[in-house]
Amino acid sequence: MNRKKGDKGFESPRPYKLTHQVVCINNINFQRKSVVGYVELTIFPTVANLNRIKLNSKQCRIYRVRVNDLEAAFIYNDPTLEVCHHESKQRNLNYFSNAYAAAVSAVDPDAGNGELCIKVPSELWKHVDELKVLKVHINFSLDQPKGGLHFVVPNMEGSMAERGAHVFSCGYQNSTRFWFPCVDSYSELCTWKLEYTVDAAMVAVSNGDLVETVYTHDMRKKTFHYMLAIPTAASNISLAIGPFEILVDPYMHEVTHFCLPQLLPLLKHTTSYLHEVFEFYEEILTCRYPYSCFKTVFIDEAYVEVAAYASMSIFSTNLLHSAMIIDETPLTRRCLAQALAQQFFGCFISRMSWSDEWVLKGISGYIYGLWMKKTFGVNEYRHWIKQELDQIVAYELKTGGVLLHPIFGGGKEKDNPASHLHFSIKHPHTLSWEYYTMFQCKAHLVMRLIENRISMEFMLQVFNKLLSLASTASSQKFQSHMWSQMLVSTSGFLKSISNVSGKDIQPLIKQWVDQSGVVKFYGSFAFNRKRNVLELEIKQDYTSPGTQKYVGPLKVTVQELDGSFNHTLQIEENSLKHDIPCHSKSRRNKKKKIPLMNGEEVDMDLSAMDADSPLLWIRIDPDMSVLRKVEFEQSDFMWQYQLRYERDVVAQEEAILALEKFPTPASRLALTDILEQEQCFYRVRMLACFCLAKIANSMVSTWTGPPAMKSLFTRMFCCKTCPNIVKTNNFMNFQSYFLQKTMPVAMALLRDVHNLCPKEVLMFILDLIKYNDNRKNKFSDNYYRAELIDALANSVTPAVSVNNEVRTLDNLNPDVRLILEEITRFLNMEKLLPSYRHTITVSCLKAIRVLQKNGHVPSDPALFKSYAEYGHFVDVRIAALEAVVDYTKVDRSYEELQWLLTMVQNDPVPYIRHKILDMLTKNPPFTKNMESPLCNEALVDQLWKLMNSGTSHDWRLRCGAVDLYFTLFGLSRPSCLPLPELGLVLNLKEKKAVLNPTIIPESVANNQEPVNAANNHGQPVVFQNTFSNSQEEEEIDMDTVHDSQAFIYHHLNMLERPSTPGKEQSSGEVTMHAVSAAPLSVFSKESNSSKHSDHHHHHHHEHKKKKKKHKHKHKHKHKHDSKEKEKDPFAFSNSPASARSIRSPSLSD
Amino acid sequence: MADAAPGGSGTRSGSKHTTTPADNYYLARRRTLQVVVSSLLTEAGFESAEKAAVETLTEMLQSYISEIGRSAKSYCEHTARTQPTLSDIVVTLVEMGFNVETLPAYAKRSQRMVITAPPVTNQPVTPKALTAGQNKPHPSHIPGYFPEFPDPHTYIKTPTYREPVSDYQVLREKAASQRRDVERALTRFMAKTGETQSLFKDDVSTFPLIAARPFTVPYLTALLPSELEMQQMEETDSSEQDDQTDTENLPLHMSTDDSGPEKENASVLQQNTSLSGSRNGEENMIDNPYLRPVKKPKIRRKK
Repeated sequence: MNRKKGDKGFESPRPYKLTHQVVCINNINFQRKSVVGYVELTIFPTVANLNRIKLNSKQCRIYRVRVNDLEAAFIYNDPTLEVCHHESKQRNLNYFSNAYAAAVSAVDPDAGNGELCIKVPSELWKHVDELKVLKVHINFSLDQPKGGLHFVVPNMEGSMAERGAHVFSCGYQNSTRFWFPCVDSYSELCTWKLEYTVDAAMVAVSNGDLVETVYTHDMRKKTFHYMLAIPTAASNISLAIGPFEILVDPYMHEVTHFCLPQLLPLLKHTTSYLHEVFEFYEEILTCRYPYSCFKTVFIDEAYVEVAAYASMSIFSTNLLHSAMIIDETPLTRRCLAQALAQQFFGCFISRMSWSDEWVLKGISGYIYGLWMKKTFGVNEYRHWIKQELDQIVAYELKTGGVLLHPIFGGGKEKDNPASHLHFSIKHPHTLSWEYYTMFQCKAHLVMRLIENRISMEFMLQVFNKLLSLASTASSQKFQSHMWSQMLVSTSGFLKSISNVSGKDIQPLIKQWVDQSGVVKFYGSFAFNRKRNVLELEIKQDYTSPGTQKYVGPLKVTVQELDGSFNHTLQIEENSLKHDIPCHSKSRRNKKKKIPLMNGEEVDMDLSAMDADSPLLWIRIDPDMSVLRKVEFEQSDFMWQYQLRYERDVVAQEEAILALEKFPTPASRLALTDILEQEQCFYRVRMLACFCLAKIANSMVSTWTGPPAMKSLFTRMFCCKTCPNIVKTNNFMNFQSYFLQKTMPVAMALLRDVHNLCPKEVLMFILDLIKYNDNRKNKFSDNYYRAELIDALANSVTPAVSVNNEVRTLDNLNPDVRLILEEITRFLNMEKLLPSYRHTITVSCLKAIRVLQKNGHVPSDPALFKSYAEYGHFVDVRIAALEAVVDYTKVDRSYEELQWLLTMVQNDPVPYIRHKILDMLTKNPPFTKNMESPLCNEALVDQLWKLMNSGTSHDWRLRCGAVDLYFTLFGLSRPSCLPLPELGLVLNLKEKKAVLNPTIIPESVANNQEPVNAANNHGQPVVFQNTFSNSQEEEEIDMDTVHDSQAFIYHHLNMLERPSTPGKEQSSGEVTMHAVSAAPLSVFSKESNSSKHSDHHHHHHHEHKKKKKKHKHKHKHKHKHDSKEKEKDPFAFSNSPASARSIRSPSLSD
Repeated sequence: MADAAPGGSGTRSGSKHTTTPADNYYLARRRTLQVVVSSLLTEAGFESAEKAAVETLTEMLQSYISEIGRSAKSYCEHTARTQPTLSDIVVTLVEMGFNVETLPAYAKRSQRMVITAPPVTNQPVTPKALTAGQNKPHPSHIPGYFPEFPDPHTYIKTPTYREPVSDYQVLREKAASQRRDVERALTRFMAKTGETQSLFKDDVSTFPLIAARPFTVPYLTALLPSELEMQQMEETDSSEQDDQTDTENLPLHMSTDDSGPEKENASVLQQNTSLSGSRNGEENMIDNPYLRPVKKPKIRRKK
């Protein structure tokens, strides 16, 4: 669908083109958390008989709509508010996911849909037929928004400005519809005029240029006027209002930074680096930053750490740091660089459709990677690539694949390209957050693969071309058809690549973009002395989920005595064995130095190696030019040589991981040598620490000398004269700082023959804490101290428990007493002298949980619950919540699970809500195959309600709830529910008996507000009719229809009395509703034909497609569902998705 | 001493058991005087005398002698001496109306009685504590009449502490335990005075945790360096410019926050610009829309 469009440019799914939009927010009330304003969209019809305009809007209360100053009727229908309506006992996730995807589709702007449907007044029809401009004016307000706009209002004395109250827009993907009506698509570009009237002490930061700031007449407020002349998608519009401190970047005066009161010194330091990122991107892209200004805003309670919008980025205030903080600095700089990369690709250049998202994420991620390479060095870059690769590989193998470029509506099989997943990948809003994170990760890795294929130079040329096309287009005024040049599509991007480079990368795209899965290689080798040939065997696993078959070139690097040699093997269908001729004979020329890959020549002690073989080590795909996992077998000495002499950090890290399996003195020596080598990359050395600890534990019976790393640490960080005392802190050398932090943590993992942490090690760590002295240090030691507490926690081993002995202070292990003493002191000191980001509190909480879990301290969630309260720093809350989640799992506590779920629903901070679900999913109290007292019907209902209707204001949260539901109950019906088959088998009788008592009370309890209550009264007549001859699914769908009608009715009601939209409906009105309901369903079919033919076709097409999809779905369903199948086509026509197209009576004439 | 004698004598004799060495000395003198008066009375021919009469006469004699002494001392000091000479005594006696000429004859009278000298009692022993060490003799250049040196302990420096420890290990040890003790004491105090949490249900005092209290603005304490750290930063590094400007600006900005809701963008920024001295001129030239003054609504109407 998208592909064929790509070549010819962009075809809008809408029968009109938006050219300009005004957003005016007249009033923002922080006390009531409400917003009042209007929008005005300037649109040009592209078809003659345009009579309905569909827009996106969620949460907003719409008072009045006018089209060219004429009152216009409208309906508001949002099927995503409640995905499955009145659904009785259907609790399987498969059903939900399909319904949810259908609901999202029904309002998807990329399909020309929207929640808000405005009828063009008949007076204007003639005007429309001439394709003349329409101005749609919508007055709206927002009250206590639960998503989209986030208010932070500290509860204290003083004016809002004094309190630091602020508000900002946020959300997952296109979420602008949550705070003003718009076409919430990345592909509908227009110019913008934004006006915000705020308290005089506040600043409103938004997109584009601040034209002027004007006082209101009473001088108590001021209005910020913004103009954004570069065509921009509504989804890239953002807003932040607060009493911000303003900092003009000293290097670039068009860049302005904003932060909350009192944080200006931190802001100065944090942003002092930004200009270098600007310079870097502008240089590599040979393109100036596209917007005339750039704004960074640092706010509290951020939804995500970094959010990029047109000409501004919203960051979490927790990224700010002073010059004393080491650890946060690179992280924050990365965030800044990421945000800036997305300014070019993501904000300025937008995407045509969701399936083109990977291009934007890929390019921004890729240029961000280039920045990393330049800033932190090649080692860091390669380490990062390796890390990302490992992550994506692990994720794909676990869940079964990430598809970058899903194509829908093609062949039958493509209908559901991600059938292995429990959610639809058709829309960004149905994606699990983890999947989306991995999606971004894969996207930039694939960009890197393309770079490998066509060279960086061409790659940058392609980017430059995209940017220059876009900037030419953006400067065109009122020629909106040109603006589609600012949208990137997969095909357009690929075409650019082939134009610029002249290379065909189609196979690569097919492998990694159009197809999901990674490659899994198993390698082993034998050396044939007679032939002097290396016989390499490379096997693939392409049958497990998440894998795919790889055919093509594969680079293998062989380090021989005579040097390093690259070989490119052709991986083909059936060839497993590859013969690689060796260059050197096995005889050794002892005098000679051995040349390495990078040209360096080194002396090696060759005594360890096999006398018959000239091979030092072998690496498969050293450049990571395939998205793969390699398991390669070579002897321990080869890994040791690789660790010592291979200069690539990735190879070193791989060698370290491999050496874990070879606990020998030689491995020990190799690791220790690496640890001591100062030229070695610090992350490799850190990794070596942990490996050494593991090896030492495996060798515990033969280990000689002091505990691993102790003497090393002493030599590096302790005083010469008194080796038991650590030097006063001096963190000027960051490499050794990181090593100093890590070594104790790794040492604490050592275990003696009794599987206890050696007393010597514990004492050593306690001494480090005792003698820690930071007075002379330029940097803060909070991260170091936090890691020392982590080390203490690592040293804890399970308590020797006498049967069910109650944990009291008296039987506390003396070592644990010492540890507890330190933790208590640290935790208490934090109250008096808090550390940066409360790192120490975080570590203390984690350590306490470890003590609880190991049975030293009574297991009790009370402490964590108090730290998890709103009002603590977010890191502390997360750590505390993690402990509660863990407690819930270990102690199977229903009470705590309820407490957590309540917090998911009620906590003021969206990130916390999301994180709780995330942590519950990662550390679930039970899983689908597990018996647990927690798994009961009430919980199923509760979670179902949460994802069905409780989280409609936050896409990410809803997807999180879906993930949790999947983890707990799986795709099919939760096992703890009573068997549904009975209901189906005994059909009529059973159904009637069950349904009436259960459904009706449930829906009332559902808090469906007056709408449902009214609905239930009006229903029975219709209901019983359907009953007698239908089955479960159909009933649900009937419900759905009614519910939508009720919904529409509700909103029509609202239209008549705009000031009281939330008012309860009296029962007298119910009859009226029932009457209105009947003609509606009939009308829904007619209305299609009245539409423009194009649209009709489109709809029809989709309809068919869905049928197929539905059938397809049933293949995966359980046996008992098969009965439904025959009824399917009929049932589906009433399914949530198609039911949405019902129109109100006011629209029907 | 002479002044104190008359009234106190009676009472003192009555409470002998509580006498001090000085009292003893005084009583002995008094007794000698009584003996003298008695012998003079005998010489004059009295057989006996009432005790009160003897006492009165003794008192008169004592007063007279005291007056001679006092007067003689004055004369002697008047002439810048410390010890009276014979002439001082003579002048005194003359001044008191005594015929000095008659004195040698009276001294040589035949019927005079000779009184044995009172037994010399030991000098009263001054407490040991006051005589720490030997008083230093005068060096040769100081005339002997100058007062003696005071007790040595009043001016000699006494080394009562041990040698200062310069051993690194001990120093570190000390610093560490000191800090730990202070921290422990402080946190225990805070825990005692405030709300606490405990890890053990049966024991709330051994590992008291100060209760977690939510903040209204949690990010401020989490992000801003504590005063201690700020101070430390200034101490450890004064060469880095960035740090300095940061720390310099902090209090000033905090003050701008307090200026209340009526503050304007522009005014805040003006303050900012004036703060950063060197950049002052530069920043005035920056044309950033957020730095421009807010327009009055009138201007808008004209447009």
